[in-house]
Amino acid sequence: MMGKETSLMTGTIIENRLAAPDHFLVSVRLPEAFPAPLPGQFVMVREAGRTAPLLARPLSVLGFTQNPGHGVLELLYRVVGEGTSLLSRLKPGDGISVMGPLGRGFAPPEGVEQVLFVAGGVGVAPLAYLLHGGLMTSETGRNLRKAFYLGARSAELLTCLDKLRDSCELGICTDDGSRGYCGSVTDLLARDIGGYEPKKTLIYACGPTPMIRSLKALLKGRPIPCQVSLEERMACGLGACLGCAVAIRRRGSGQGIEYKRVCKDGPVFDLEEVIP
Amino acid sequence: MDSNRKLSDAAGPDLSVRIGRLKLKNPVMTASGTFGYGEEYAPFVDLNRLGAVIVKGLSLEPRPGNPPPRIMETPAGMLNAVGLQNIGVRAFIAEKLPFLRQYDTAVVANIFGETLEEYRRLAGILNDTEGVSAVEVNISCPNVKKGGIAFGARPELAAEVTRAVRGETALPVIVKLTPNVTDITEIALAVEEAGADALSLINTMTGMSVDIEKRRPRLANITGGLSGPAIRPIALRMVWQAVRAVKIPVIGIGGIATASDALEFLIAGATAIQVGTANFVSPSCTMEILEGIGRYLDRHGISGIAELIGSLDTSPEGKGEGDGDV
Repeated sequence: MMGKETSLMTGTIIENRLAAPDHFLVSVRLPEAFPAPLPGQFVMVREAGRTAPLLARPLSVLGFTQNPGHGVLELLYRVVGEGTSLLSRLKPGDGISVMGPLGRGFAPPEGVEQVLFVAGGVGVAPLAYLLHGGLMTSETGRNLRKAFYLGARSAELLTCLDKLRDSCELGICTDDGSRGYCGSVTDLLARDIGGYEPKKTLIYACGPTPMIRSLKALLKGRPIPCQVSLEERMACGLGACLGCAVAIRRRGSGQGIEYKRVCKDGPVFDLEEVIP
Repeated sequence: MDSNRKLSDAAGPDLSVRIGRLKLKNPVMTASGTFGYGEEYAPFVDLNRLGAVIVKGLSLEPRPGNPPPRIMETPAGMLNAVGLQNIGVRAFIAEKLPFLRQYDTAVVANIFGETLEEYRRLAGILNDTEGVSAVEVNISCPNVKKGGIAFGARPELAAEVTRAVRGETALPVIVKLTPNVTDITEIALAVEEAGADALSLINTMTGMSVDIEKRRPRLANITGGLSGPAIRPIALRMVWQAVRAVKIPVIGIGGIATASDALEFLIAGATAIQVGTANFVSPSCTMEILEGIGRYLDRHGISGIAELIGSLDTSPEGKGEGDGDV
């Protein structure tokens, strides 16, 4: 789903706190005119006024609320390098440059009765936004059965639980068994998958590449449609530089792949066409 | 330069420049591969105000590009190994050119091929295409394993490509040079002699990055092209060298992010400049660069940009004044 036109604005940090080891939750006050992102869209962020490191960083939207006179954007990110490290040191009141909303978000659940969310690590962010967004809170959305599968390496790395608990059936797992089911999130889903009717079920997924690979393998032979949000290093974020392109199975007759832009053609793709 | 030019307070300084037969309303162009086909930047840039848009490099047939990862940030720069992914010249003409033609900006078609015949055919097709103001010939892309890197590194091959394109079009022919050579002036002279109307330099410099935990190259292609502020001093030096070697206009490219950067190139002798990687850092930077150039000319009482181009003072005494702030 494409939202409103993208813009570049400077916002102010409201809060930038540690949510889990190496994981930060940041809330940003933005001008009223900042367009409300759709679930699955992302933003490119950097500290205001800095051009080092060179590029802004793409982060999925965790939450957005429109208030009178301003908007509040929420992002969840893991510190993985220079850009995210600098971001983690921003304090309330600091300026942050936000470009967005960007990308194609999740498409609505149509003609299904059951929605599954499959999240690995920081991939929980766009799915949490989807869970609370218009697609799920509309009249049709509210009648859907919703099951959220959330996995992380260990208990301390589970985030956003407060956002999920009351809105869906929540299944938690950790690789080391420190909380919930011991195993990967796709192992947990595999346990239940037989109970979901393919024609009446839709899966939304976001997580690391190994999770996406396992999910694809799990769904082989089970025609449950699945929308997955991908990530890739980005430069422009606008679809111009072609730096973030990923291999996508070409539709139609014959095999063959083409490269599509995660920032513009995605980040949401059909799992069937993704080659993880 | 022009004794008939009036100082017009209302209009501001005259920023127009000529690239052969092509007249641009100002020297700010967007570099190929960094601005898509223009549409992507429309929310941030008034395309009517740009001197020119140089579109993503076009080949005869569509090309898929390289597998990911294609980009890696570096200090004050980035590496790219996109691999010249493009929709092909025919799809460009049918699907992308109409959008650009709505605007009052020159559209320059950047072209590349793997054989001389491909360059000829591309030039021939674009020669007959309304709405294309000039052709920029990429002989220098270092990401492709054949074609690009070979042509641009040797003066005789660079001249061959230039002649091939020259023979098929009356449009202004700009040849884009690679910096991955020992002596840029050799290439510049050969290309001028072969009939180019102008040169543009530099393209990216070949570089590399390694993931030390995985012990793998950061780019699937292993090497890629380095762009951004890191290459600016090298680009500026090569532009200066080329300007002194040839008589045709030289367009400066390489890490230009601000008006101050652009002015360095103009003063060193570039007739126009291209902005590339900076568009990723700040999508409306071309507008800021344009405004900054205007303010500088006002501040120095210069009525036309031609007065500034090539005004670098390399004399031992150096009579320059001011701190160059814009």
